[in-house]
Amino acid sequence: MAAQETFFGHSLKVDKSRCLGCTTCMRSCPTGAIRIRGGKAVVYDNKCVDCGNCMKVCPHKAIYIQQDDFALIHNYEYRVCLVPTTFIGQFEEKFRTREIYACLKKLGFTHIYEVEHEVEYVVELYKKYIAKHPEIRTFISPYCPAVIRLIQVRFPSLVDNIIRVRAPFELAAHIMTNRLMDEGASRESIGVFYVTPCAAKIAAVKYPVSNKETMITGVINMDFLFNKVQLMLRESKKDAEAINHSLTSRDILWPLPGGEASLFRGSHYAVDGLQNVLNFLERLEDETVDARGLVEMRICDQGCVGGVLATNNRFVARKRLEDRARLLDQPDRPLNRYTRYNNPEFCKWIDEQMEIDEITPHSIYKLDDNFAEAIKMAERMKKIEKALPGVNCSACGAPSCAALAEDIVRGDADISSCMFINRHSQASEDAIRNIWGDRIKTRTINQDKSE
Amino acid sequence: MHYTFDIERGNFTDAGQASSSVKRTLKHLGVAPANIKRTVVALFEAEINAIAHAYGGTIDVDIDDQKIVMVVADKGPGIPNLDLAMQEGWSTASAEVREMGYGAGMGLPNIKKNTDDLKIESTVGVGTTVTMTVFFA
Repeated sequence: MAAQETFFGHSLKVDKSRCLGCTTCMRSCPTGAIRIRGGKAVVYDNKCVDCGNCMKVCPHKAIYIQQDDFALIHNYEYRVCLVPTTFIGQFEEKFRTREIYACLKKLGFTHIYEVEHEVEYVVELYKKYIAKHPEIRTFISPYCPAVIRLIQVRFPSLVDNIIRVRAPFELAAHIMTNRLMDEGASRESIGVFYVTPCAAKIAAVKYPVSNKETMITGVINMDFLFNKVQLMLRESKKDAEAINHSLTSRDILWPLPGGEASLFRGSHYAVDGLQNVLNFLERLEDETVDARGLVEMRICDQGCVGGVLATNNRFVARKRLEDRARLLDQPDRPLNRYTRYNNPEFCKWIDEQMEIDEITPHSIYKLDDNFAEAIKMAERMKKIEKALPGVNCSACGAPSCAALAEDIVRGDADISSCMFINRHSQASEDAIRNIWGDRIKTRTINQDKSE
Repeated sequence: MHYTFDIERGNFTDAGQASSSVKRTLKHLGVAPANIKRTVVALFEAEINAIAHAYGGTIDVDIDDQKIVMVVADKGPGIPNLDLAMQEGWSTASAEVREMGYGAGMGLPNIKKNTDDLKIESTVGVGTTVTMTVFFA
């Protein structure tokens, strides 16, 4: 692969000892970021958006998400577990939220704080941003980090439509850190650990779009924590943690499709699922859909409960959250919000902390900086694509014939890697004819390969 | 570089294939997003026009380092009064076409707005040829 400046860091990794190079991940990648080289899947860093789709489809569990060492939490006197309600949705309703939190404390955390405490404020920030930008018609939610990256690489013309507000977990980390500092804790003694349902959120913490300081100390994979807590809950003796539940029913539903929309209330669209998101962005880009207002987008089907690190079935988790929200029956926020929200100076500071300064486009399409050269390459690509069989078999190590054609003009592959073109015996000729009929041109054996 | 696409009468479902393909190429060439958008919007409108009003046709696209020229040629009823057709809100679209959400009379005005040069040649009873140019610089 040609050396390139890397724009994105990633949390998704390929376990070479498990990967069989079966092409499943490569063929389902929405940005064509994967190739097979040396019999293993490799990832183009600048194309990958950390959507986690490869990990979901891999039949060999060869793709994993790097996480911080759990023991790290003990480096801090105050150990905050920043938990999204998606986590609660993983557990059967017979386990009460306070029992789940008691387990988290037993695991070593000193404070449990739900991310969704701050979603209402984040939506207020959306509204402020929207009011400040009357020239923009369609506002895309910045919540799902995979969507932000997808827009950067595949839909660069839409980067200015993204609301430049950081994620709720960032606000929750700021608030919790401030709360503890109000109580006398020093900044260094506080460790804030976010429990993530997906790869994209880890990447967003480790390699943020914003260059502002993060208050997140580490990230813990949700499946890891789920396994630990589930084991403890199954043991007979259960403790219950007294929790000061100030979440509203709507907060609980935030991770689900429509979660942002229900707090936003204005004109909105809620799109979830990879194919739906791609389709909608394509239409926004072509202006064949005229979306006015907020477009909430989640790359996972059913939103965050469909995240790759969510253990339980997304529809089951969704129902559980809906049941818990109904049970809580708390439509409005009780009056125990963080007190410094009443201080305009503090709000001004926090609003600044929550701003994303810039979202830069990183198109994965551009063939060359020189236009004339790019045209030459595009012409050649079109010719090569015509010569290729168009069956997208992936045997060349690229996801499709079009992708191979692009790799060839970029100098990352050779036409001889196409099994249809590179065939030299009557037996292979017959076999291909048997499978594909007249669709594939019959070749005279030993035909000039350079064609 | 050159592309040719066919247009099939009444096939709204497949509308946009030409503009999608052109969009992909322009992205490969690194054309500025604003110019890609103008091109795609104009081409899509012209394609819809041919689908809605004519009996089929072709789209020819030529790209060089300065510009993109798109020629949408249809066999169809032609446009009797071009001045009227260029007016916003004027439409001869059938009820059926309007039901699909098209035919608001914004097609040609929208094309004009998004292109740098627009030429329309039309003969009643024979067909219409729309030539659209977008400059990249």
